[in-house]
Amino acid sequence: MARFAGGKAPFLRISDTKGHNTQAIMKDFMIAMSPVILFSWYKNGIKVLIDGNINFIEMLYPLFFIAMGAILSTLMEGIFFYVTDKEHRSFQDILDKLSRSYAAIPGIILALLLPLYTPIWVLMFAAFVATIIGKMIFGGFGHNIFNPALLGYAIVGFTLMGVVNRAGGLFNASEVLVDAYAGATPLGVLASGKQLSFDLLVKPYGGLFNLFIGSYPGALGETSSLAIMIGGVYLVYKKIIKWYTPVIYVGTVFVLSWLIGLVSGEAGLWFPTYSILTGGVMFAAVFMATEPVTTPTNSLGKVFFALFLGVLTVLFRFVGNLPEGVGTSLIFLNIFTIAFDKYTAVIRTKKLAKPGGLYLAILTGLFILLAIYTVIKAGNMYSLVMPILGWVI
Amino acid sequence: MIFQRVKGITLDGKKDACKKNPLQEYLNPKKVYIPLLQRTCVLEPEVKIGDQVKAGQLIAINQQYFNVRVHASISGKVTAIKKVWHSSGKMVDAIEIENDNLNTLVEDIKEEKSLDELTRQDFIDKLEKSGLTGLGGAGFPTYVKYRTKSKIDTVIINAVECEPYLTCDFHYLLKFKEKLVRGARYLRRAAEAKEVVIAYKAYNEEIAHAIEPLIKEFADIRLFPLKNVYPAGWEKYVVEQVTGKTYNNLPAEAGVIVNNSATTIVFADVVEKNIPLISRPITITGEGINQPRTYIVPIGTKVSELVELSGGYVEGLDPLKYNYIAGGPMTGRAIFVDDLVVNDTLGAVIVKPVIEGLYPECMGCGRCADVCPTYLTPTEIKKAYERKDVKLLGDLNANKCVECGLCSYVCPSHVEITEAVGKGKALLKKGA
Repeated sequence: MARFAGGKAPFLRISDTKGHNTQAIMKDFMIAMSPVILFSWYKNGIKVLIDGNINFIEMLYPLFFIAMGAILSTLMEGIFFYVTDKEHRSFQDILDKLSRSYAAIPGIILALLLPLYTPIWVLMFAAFVATIIGKMIFGGFGHNIFNPALLGYAIVGFTLMGVVNRAGGLFNASEVLVDAYAGATPLGVLASGKQLSFDLLVKPYGGLFNLFIGSYPGALGETSSLAIMIGGVYLVYKKIIKWYTPVIYVGTVFVLSWLIGLVSGEAGLWFPTYSILTGGVMFAAVFMATEPVTTPTNSLGKVFFALFLGVLTVLFRFVGNLPEGVGTSLIFLNIFTIAFDKYTAVIRTKKLAKPGGLYLAILTGLFILLAIYTVIKAGNMYSLVMPILGWVI
Repeated sequence: MIFQRVKGITLDGKKDACKKNPLQEYLNPKKVYIPLLQRTCVLEPEVKIGDQVKAGQLIAINQQYFNVRVHASISGKVTAIKKVWHSSGKMVDAIEIENDNLNTLVEDIKEEKSLDELTRQDFIDKLEKSGLTGLGGAGFPTYVKYRTKSKIDTVIINAVECEPYLTCDFHYLLKFKEKLVRGARYLRRAAEAKEVVIAYKAYNEEIAHAIEPLIKEFADIRLFPLKNVYPAGWEKYVVEQVTGKTYNNLPAEAGVIVNNSATTIVFADVVEKNIPLISRPITITGEGINQPRTYIVPIGTKVSELVELSGGYVEGLDPLKYNYIAGGPMTGRAIFVDDLVVNDTLGAVIVKPVIEGLYPECMGCGRCADVCPTYLTPTEIKKAYERKDVKLLGDLNANKCVECGLCSYVCPSHVEITEAVGKGKALLKKGA
């Protein structure tokens, strides 16, 4: 009689096969990000070198900056593991923990979210916020509530934007496209309170196609919709993200922006197209609205999350004071991921019967209200509606 | 699409190792140990130590809920009642019978003469007396299914065997294909159904080739191929595919009775010769076995003897790095000691290496929810179980889980999610 090992059914696991475990998924995220990284290198490094504005070493700076994002994040987590666990301090232990924590990915995303001329110490601060405050104190990988990279980016955006802006100059030669709007991002122009007009918003950046390609001022990784879409297609092909999350999100932003354009007198389809190509909508759609840890788990939750995210993005963009809107809406919705998970699971299970139908009705009603509010508030519908309301009352 | 209803996923079958070796009979073990446990019923022995028993003789019974009977699988002398390892993972009492190699049969075993005149009630009585249970793994007494008051249209013979590694139904069916067809038609008569359908995996072409010529002349029997997916052999899936109808608790609600193919073959013997359930097929396989093979054995045979017949364990096997699994790899149970006996529900013993690794936390990819054949949300059930939130478990239909194991199978982070959902299901049952 021999004593055998224990275990729990099933005794076959796909995670035991190479290429099907979390490690492989994270590797695929890296691969999907590579077109974005390469494009930002091209835009901020190679192209500038060809134009003759910088030397060879400076050309490598974008890659260095992105690598620094990954390295700093990993380092911070390593230090966190060392400080918090007194019993497992050997190098091997920390490496083991790091290999299951995937710090490099939020690090890279963080670097891609920041403009190139961000000082390294600001990047370091952002990485600290992202990994330690955004992830580790919640319990590490899989337990974080906020998207770590986004939290780091948001904190820097709220507190150190002035520093980042003042630090510009050396490496952003290629970003000065048009003298009149030197370095201003398209959405910054919109937020300055000017009317929606093609000449003002799109023309300075070389037309819609150029916005699609991504050669315009903005953060490192979020400008090129083309590169992001290549990465997104790869992720969908590898079945790592669901195709409908980005499609619904981008679609909602498109439709609502179109409606806003209509009611404010700009009938052209250029405006919604412009809306989805700028401000990181694409980047968020592919790399952040689909991030597994901080977004809902089941398919129905993903659909609702993407819908709400689209509405909130448009709401924050046109009603609030933030030109960009994407990051804020994502952070806001991340708080509700747990609720999304729970209630959509119940709705899914009860197959839309009661009480799931009630939840569904409430959610849909909320969504429609938000959408109507956004459109009315953002387009100049106000003056049209108020007299009617007054008459009714 | 967005709310896609995944109909199972294709698994690596791993059946070839066992398929190429022919079926072998091992009908005369020195001793058998007949467990006094069927599903959750503990049986009362009807014999004393020292009694002489004949093959097919009733030796234990439980009439608490159903009429559960167990028969001696060989002839010989009852030498002891002692504890043995059972496929449920516990030690249970078993009747030890020492073989006298005479193979004397009990008097009840005789040819049935008036086969054509048997009524539905006759079939049900025979089933009840034979102690026949579902040999597929659930082990539900077969006669209870046929006692239903619902109108039955179709009897489905489940020859799917969708779990990887297992080949016992496959081999057993091919060896006794005539018996299968006869048994299937008796089952149709026992249910007074219009037709009987043999469901098999389209991938197992041999079954179609073997059965087709035998059923050509009969109008009431047909074959139905199913896709090569897991869990294609799940009762509800089979019923949905074959009839297009669905049900909540029992297939009888949809006018269907489902029986395993091995059960059907044994039933042919029950009807024609009044032989009760005394033997069954079992697969001994896995990477840890030298010559994986399927056997027909008397119930109560020691599995260790079968492992020896299969060439033993592979050389240099370190037991602590191997799992000894009673049942299929997806739904079976790890047994700590290789001292198992064959009972009515044990279709396979798999010796298979444990793959160890360091795994990260659940990251919420949602694959478990996508793959669940009952459309549950395993992650939320796990959370609700950890909070002991019985009401939420009810809202999440934790009781509908069939513990097929797919959620754990697809999990990229190796989370024991099937186990957690199973515990949630148990908690809901207890709490409600």
